[in-house]
Amino acid sequence: MSYGKIGQPLGRVEGPAKVTGEAKYTADVLLPGMIWGKVLRSPLPHAKIVSIDTREAEQMPGILAVLTAKDLPDLLIGRRVYDMPVLAKDQVRFIGEKVVVVAAEDPDVAEDALAYIDVEYEDMPAVFDAHEAMKPEAPLLHPDYRSYAHAPEKFFSDIPNVHSHVTWELGDIEKGFALAKQVFEHTFNTPAVHQGYIEPHASVVAIDPDGRVNVWISNKMPVRARELLADVVEIPQERIVVHLAQIGADFGGKGSLMDAPLCYHLAKRTGRPVKMVMTYTEELMAGNPRHPTSVFLRTGVTEKGQIVARQAKVVFDSGAYAAFKPVPFVNIPGAKDAAGVYGTPHIRIDAYSVYTNCVPSGHFRAPGDLQVNFAVESSMDMIAEDLGLDRLEFRKQNLLKDGDWVPGGPQLEEVRVAETLAAAVKASSWNQPKSQPNRGLGLAVSHRLIGTGEANTQLTLKEDGTIQVLTPVPEVGTGAHTILQQIVAETLFLPLDQIRVETASDIFKTDSGSGASRVTYVGGQVVQQAAGELMKLILAVGAKGLGCAENEVVFEGGRVVHSDSDGSLSLAEVAKIGGDGKSALRVKKSLNLSEGPPVTTFTAQVVELEVDPETGQIKLLDVVTAHDVGTIINPLGHQGQIEGGLLQGVGFGLIEELRMEDGQVSTLNLGDYKLPNIRDIPPLTTVLVEEEVGPAPFHGKAIGESSITPTGAAIANAVYDAVGVRFHDLPITAEKVYWALRQQSGGKG
Amino acid sequence: MTYTIRLNVNGKEHTVEVPSRRLLIDCLRYDLGLTGTKEGCSVGVCGACTVLMDGKPISSCLALALFADGKEIVTVEGLAREDRLDRVQQAFIDYGGFQCGICTPGMVVTAKALLDENPDPSVDEIKEWMMGNLCRCTGYYKVIESIQGAARRKRQAGDSDEGL
Ligand code: FES
Ligand code: FES
Repeated sequence: MSYGKIGQPLGRVEGPAKVTGEAKYTADVLLPGMIWGKVLRSPLPHAKIVSIDTREAEQMPGILAVLTAKDLPDLLIGRRVYDMPVLAKDQVRFIGEKVVVVAAEDPDVAEDALAYIDVEYEDMPAVFDAHEAMKPEAPLLHPDYRSYAHAPEKFFSDIPNVHSHVTWELGDIEKGFALAKQVFEHTFNTPAVHQGYIEPHASVVAIDPDGRVNVWISNKMPVRARELLADVVEIPQERIVVHLAQIGADFGGKGSLMDAPLCYHLAKRTGRPVKMVMTYTEELMAGNPRHPTSVFLRTGVTEKGQIVARQAKVVFDSGAYAAFKPVPFVNIPGAKDAAGVYGTPHIRIDAYSVYTNCVPSGHFRAPGDLQVNFAVESSMDMIAEDLGLDRLEFRKQNLLKDGDWVPGGPQLEEVRVAETLAAAVKASSWNQPKSQPNRGLGLAVSHRLIGTGEANTQLTLKEDGTIQVLTPVPEVGTGAHTILQQIVAETLFLPLDQIRVETASDIFKTDSGSGASRVTYVGGQVVQQAAGELMKLILAVGAKGLGCAENEVVFEGGRVVHSDSDGSLSLAEVAKIGGDGKSALRVKKSLNLSEGPPVTTFTAQVVELEVDPETGQIKLLDVVTAHDVGTIINPLGHQGQIEGGLLQGVGFGLIEELRMEDGQVSTLNLGDYKLPNIRDIPPLTTVLVEEEVGPAPFHGKAIGESSITPTGAAIANAVYDAVGVRFHDLPITAEKVYWALRQQSGGKG
Repeated sequence: MTYTIRLNVNGKEHTVEVPSRRLLIDCLRYDLGLTGTKEGCSVGVCGACTVLMDGKPISSCLALALFADGKEIVTVEGLAREDRLDRVQQAFIDYGGFQCGICTPGMVVTAKALLDENPDPSVDEIKEWMMGNLCRCTGYYKVIESIQGAARRKRQAGDSDEGL
């Protein structure tokens, strides 16, 4: 199938604005009379607030407002469950929790005033590890968690501090283990990692004299943000307008209100527009990083090497609040992939999300998937070795097939994991003899179901003959707006520059926003359908204008043409005629998909690396990433998603860790919290296993959360292949390798 | 204590009154309204705030505004000429050198300085020069392609178009 606009490697619609500095992000919003808010955060992980004395700060020149919990409505917030105060009230539960907010004309003055606020605390016993928190003697962080609004009753647990326990099952796990000849048990751990977007969270609120509340916020789901804000500041949604700014990347981390409620309260108190921008230090101490996770796997295998049973216990450290988890069961969806890409008849997966006195955790690109994949794919190598099987053959023998079920997913069709794995192997040096000592190869495979949710759009034929596409989805960097433009252009046979994608959040009541690899699939379908309906309207109005019947007109060369005569109308002319009562030609459409399509997307990666035995330093020599893809709508954007995700996977495998000691984050700036830089990139080969079978418009699939997932495991497996050390914890830093090698040689000698 | 400083930004003279601790980034963004320059890490690591001071890239989050007194500053807003994008800017669009775009002002300014100094950089030279500019979206592959693309186009165009 060949297309006009689909498949073009197009630069972004917002490209010129971004390269000239014209693109406005939330922190760039400057309003007359605008003032700044800054927060005082808790220095203690768990403590009663005995008293707060703000008198001295209030008297300081330039200070316009100082607010504590008693100045705010007594309400809690969250993306799903409402369990987090806007400002801490009677107690604090993590280091970095907001306690007091100050506003001043100058941000430095606001910052200075924080030092003059006196908070008296009384220490409470704290717990910093999810497993410790689950013990009977652990202090309870939220004794009343069952009473919180939107708490998921079906998933309550009697285990201390577990606020959600979700189980996925296939078959009968007992039966499965009965069939097994051998049973293996492994445990793996991964730390908190920050999304690492370069734009820290920012919020601006300005209240008009008529009470309209204008909000700018680095949030990828503006419609939902409006709903949540209305709830927590107790005003009707209709009074809130969320203005969409550019977002300096999201990677799952920008779905909360963050400081917007505080901006609102300060704006209300002072009558001035208020801006709050987190520093990166605040991001690292009180953002919403990926969950520290431990994964316990129990695997039953037959004599012939067939996996017949998989039990998994996945423990997610939620930190002090569950407020950053968006899904209704208030747990982490990636846990359901604990059987990996292997057809396993008997599966039981238990995911526990647990309160601790650490930074609240949130979503980060492929939430849970990376943690669980590291465990599954490491264990595949370990089991193969124990059974004396080749690790590739062992995988091949167990791969998912058409008609298999995956936990929490559909019965799969069009399963192309074998092809994807073969493609990755073929493009790598897998089949070549091992070249040198301390070099190794590792592979890992993952899959990701395509996201569901709700998408909205409104298409209007403007009087100048252009099509305006309104979307409530902000551009977080994924290229969503460019893709929507391409889909509408393709559907209407119009040039790209005749399609203008613009954002608006207030004409839509609900929307899922950007995330879960859903935009191309759900958002693409809704604009495609709306474009089809708009075309019908255009033809009907065009026929009326030409004085003929609807079945006598066609759309050709951007005009409505009467097929029997020479008569034709341009789109601008059709727009001027208008619909009934001269109204604009407009289609507003909503699509809510609660069930995903029966296809998934596979990724297979092979990593070749070298370990320096003297220093423990790991050098990536070659990475191959193979993807099972449908029609690619924009190859430039598609490849960008693969490359960016891959380097985040490398960071997860080798570099990144939000280090914490007794709840205190010690990597508090981007010098200490290392993100991969341009010298860390490995040579990369991308293989696309293409077939036009995707469920998205024009048979597309999803890509955004694919390449990041298997990299950590592939690296760990390659390190083992290189030097024979098995790491159960990420990241595999040079320091860890160095000590492990010392121990290894000490053990031998 | 406030001081009066004079600085030339993107070819325009400005006189600004600043407190001694005012940072150059805040002076550019808030005193002059040039919000194209971005703030990420605030500690000189991410490069989002990079501007050229007398032709050299610096982190404006670390520099006091006072240091810019009498200096020539170029920000991302100063690269395009009369609606025509600089070659580096155009290449970043065409080669997909950014996604969210928050690192882009710093990237294009730094890349511009590189190509001014070295019109034909090798991949290693690009990496060495761009090391102080973090990008979380692209994985840098397309940043390198963008810079190479800009260099190639410049060579192909020869001296015909005054460095644009
Ligand atoms: S903001 Fe200046 S280097 Fe990061
Ligand atoms: S494009 Fe987003 S950080 Fe570089």
